[in-house]
Amino acid sequence: MSNQPVCWPATRNTTAWLVWVLATAALALTIRNPLYITLIVLATWLVHVQVARNTPAAANWSGLVRLGLTIWLIAIPFSALMNHQGETVLFRLPESWPLLGGPITAESVAAGAASGYSLWALLLVFATFNLAVDAAVMIQAMPAFLSQAGVITTIALTFIPRMVQDTREIREAQRIRGHRFRSWRDSVPLAMPLLTTAFEHAIQLAESIESRGLSARTMDLSARRTRLVRGALALALLALLAGLVVRLVGPPLLGNALVAGAALVLMGAFYDLERHARRTRFVHQVWTRADKAIVAISVGALAVGLGTAWARPDLTGYAPVDAASLLPAFSLVPGIAVTLLALPGLLGALGANTAPTGSEAPQ
Amino acid sequence: MISLQDVTYRYPDALSPALNHIDLNLEAGSFTLVSGVSGSGKTTLLRLLNGLVPHFSGGVFSGTIRVAGLDPVREGPGRMSRRVGVVFQDPESQFVVDSVEAELALAMEHQGLSRTEMGVRITQVLRQLEIVPLRQRRIGTLSGGEKQRVALAAALTLQPQVLVLDEPTSQLDPQSAAQVLDALARLNHELGITVVLSEHRLERILPFIDQLIFLPGDGTLRQGTPRQLLAEVDLSSPLVTLAKCQGWSPIPLSVEEARRWVPSREPEPSVSVRTVQPKAIDSEPAEMSIQGLAYTYGENRALSDLSLQIHRGEMVALMGPNGSGKTTLLKLLAGLLKPSAGKVYLRGRDTQRLDLEEVIQTVGLVPQNPNALLFADTVAEELAFTRQSHGMDSGCPAGLLETLGISRLLTTYPRDLSVGERQRVALAAILVAEPEIILLDEPTRGVDWAQKEAFMAYLASERAHGHTVLFATHDVELVAQCADRIVLLEGGRCVADGAVREVMFAWPQYCSQIGRLYRDGHTLTPQDVREASR
Repeated sequence: MSNQPVCWPATRNTTAWLVWVLATAALALTIRNPLYITLIVLATWLVHVQVARNTPAAANWSGLVRLGLTIWLIAIPFSALMNHQGETVLFRLPESWPLLGGPITAESVAAGAASGYSLWALLLVFATFNLAVDAAVMIQAMPAFLSQAGVITTIALTFIPRMVQDTREIREAQRIRGHRFRSWRDSVPLAMPLLTTAFEHAIQLAESIESRGLSARTMDLSARRTRLVRGALALALLALLAGLVVRLVGPPLLGNALVAGAALVLMGAFYDLERHARRTRFVHQVWTRADKAIVAISVGALAVGLGTAWARPDLTGYAPVDAASLLPAFSLVPGIAVTLLALPGLLGALGANTAPTGSEAPQ
Repeated sequence: MISLQDVTYRYPDALSPALNHIDLNLEAGSFTLVSGVSGSGKTTLLRLLNGLVPHFSGGVFSGTIRVAGLDPVREGPGRMSRRVGVVFQDPESQFVVDSVEAELALAMEHQGLSRTEMGVRITQVLRQLEIVPLRQRRIGTLSGGEKQRVALAAALTLQPQVLVLDEPTSQLDPQSAAQVLDALARLNHELGITVVLSEHRLERILPFIDQLIFLPGDGTLRQGTPRQLLAEVDLSSPLVTLAKCQGWSPIPLSVEEARRWVPSREPEPSVSVRTVQPKAIDSEPAEMSIQGLAYTYGENRALSDLSLQIHRGEMVALMGPNGSGKTTLLKLLAGLLKPSAGKVYLRGRDTQRLDLEEVIQTVGLVPQNPNALLFADTVAEELAFTRQSHGMDSGCPAGLLETLGISRLLTTYPRDLSVGERQRVALAAILVAEPEIILLDEPTRGVDWAQKEAFMAYLASERAHGHTVLFATHDVELVAQCADRIVLLEGGRCVADGAVREVMFAWPQYCSQIGRLYRDGHTLTPQDVREASR
């Protein structure tokens, strides 16, 4: 175990976090009812507050609020101008204006606000996840047969802060030479060094990766087996695409059969690749009871939410077409389900830094 | 361990070979320095040892090469990684993940080692390099020296028989450089790892090596013991220069070895303690004046309560460990950053009330990284751009190009130049606007001794013209040769400010080789010794 105290939740099981973010994001995408979205926002906020205790510099709640307001500034006028349904007319635009012309209604403004709210909730969910799980740690948790892709993704992620730093250095260096930005031509002294520097960094990193053996083959597969797996993967992807197209334009049963068959072949190919991957992992994830509870609650909340959306679309949806339906409907069971998504935050508040670590490395 | 026979290598499109019919033999367990002027083929030779040349660079190779029993040209760098560990100049360019432990495990994970084996090896290398406390740290929070030792550790986890290092200490302060070199010496002595490295600052590395390779720049090389080769070739540190002048034989490679020729002397009482106080702010009008200056990056305080005065014609060296605030101070003086607290005055005027355009009419800052400046197709266009941006004609001040030795490069694409040449072009790209106050950030990083001497000549000519120069550097020999005064920063605070001799003898880790040898409170350079003996 680590020599230094390890803080919750940075080391909580990555898979548990992944399940939580997928469930919460899926519900934020599916549900339009502002009351349930508010519960999702509150649950996520509690998690965010707990996560931010360990990374106060990275947590920027005011920035998220500003982002939400910006989304509203775009979503509300967009809905009001493009959707003219509703009985409560606020004002009218000339009918001769293409697309925009017609009544601007309170219902379309409310629908725009609800859409923006859902979108903001989604961003908040991912911002919290981003704060909780280190991208490199998540990539490390990828299946072994995808290790090359993991290295490439990690490099891409580390390149972003480096490019930001390079941009600042270059801008300062050119300003001291008297450079001023007056037209697009003045971008050359900034863009050229940035491009060439990024290219040089890429070459240096590639040399380092090559010299450390990180680009070596990670599969113990014969050439014949490799060709077979590649062929199966290509066929499965084609079948998946064909299945999705058939579902839209042809008999759904055939489409579903193609998608299911493709999924089976893909799973088989991935299993085979994983079995023959030579790459090992130094850090193994540990499943605590809390991690299992997070997974169970997330899956449960998702099932209840999707079930409600299927059985009672009037509860999860929000489509105000008259003043009487401006107030959204509400039912207790889906409300409790989405509220339980706050579990990672509640566990943090209760156990904070004494919680067991979610990963383990031999010393 | 390393054997090259009749090796010739030419880069694609190059007119002449970088390495021309060279032979080389290095025994297992040797510690070898590859030295020579910029562009002489040092990096090419090092990269040949793990197959990066020609696998990455292309070009034409001929001859026979064996490293740790393998042919790197046939095997390639990936397969050679188990036998040859490589550490590059810039540690940040070789890290893939942001955690020390994960970075150390990465190569082993790709080789399919068991978790237990990985754990054992990580613990071993951390102990060998004495960086156990860094295990759980994020790489972004490490100092330059710590990063370089982590890069070294990452190379060692695959248990290579040969370590190849390309200027591993060029970006480090003297203490961090000493830590890295001590670690290398331990690996060499205790584990018998063959070490081959390049380094411009001979004074740092000579005490550790038993083999020296000199590349004169014509594609050939000479190999021998350091004492033998130093006596024959034009390659020297201040101590070697002094030894050659005084006729000391055998040539001493370290200060300790040279003491037999210098009368034993107790350190001056006044120099054994850190007595130098920040220089009092006097009433003489200053070119630049700083009062109670502070600067913070987010929550990190880079500078605290700093007060200084810099007078016309002074040549001030800004020294201190990596991260002590030197670059931040230069940016504040140039008006690129606004102080969090305190004031910066340029000829009595508060720079916060001046536009940057007004500041740069008087102040020129040459950044640490010349690549941040260079964008044009030719050197001439780079120089013209600065002058036009300052509202000047495109002509160049007389003598500038000759002094900097770049007059023959005017039509060259700047990015095709060597590190030292780029550095001088970047210098010219700022100085062409004729600033009266010149700020330089690590001006001799990656520059060979000959280029450094040309640079020192240039600084002397600037001083002769009454210009004020403030430069941040880790190069104590450069400071001993040409600065008037040292401002020493630690943790964002000024801990010493005084004449070069005062500060160097009070802070031995910032003292020149000759200063550490004589310990007389006066002698810092070979010239000082010569003058004293007249």
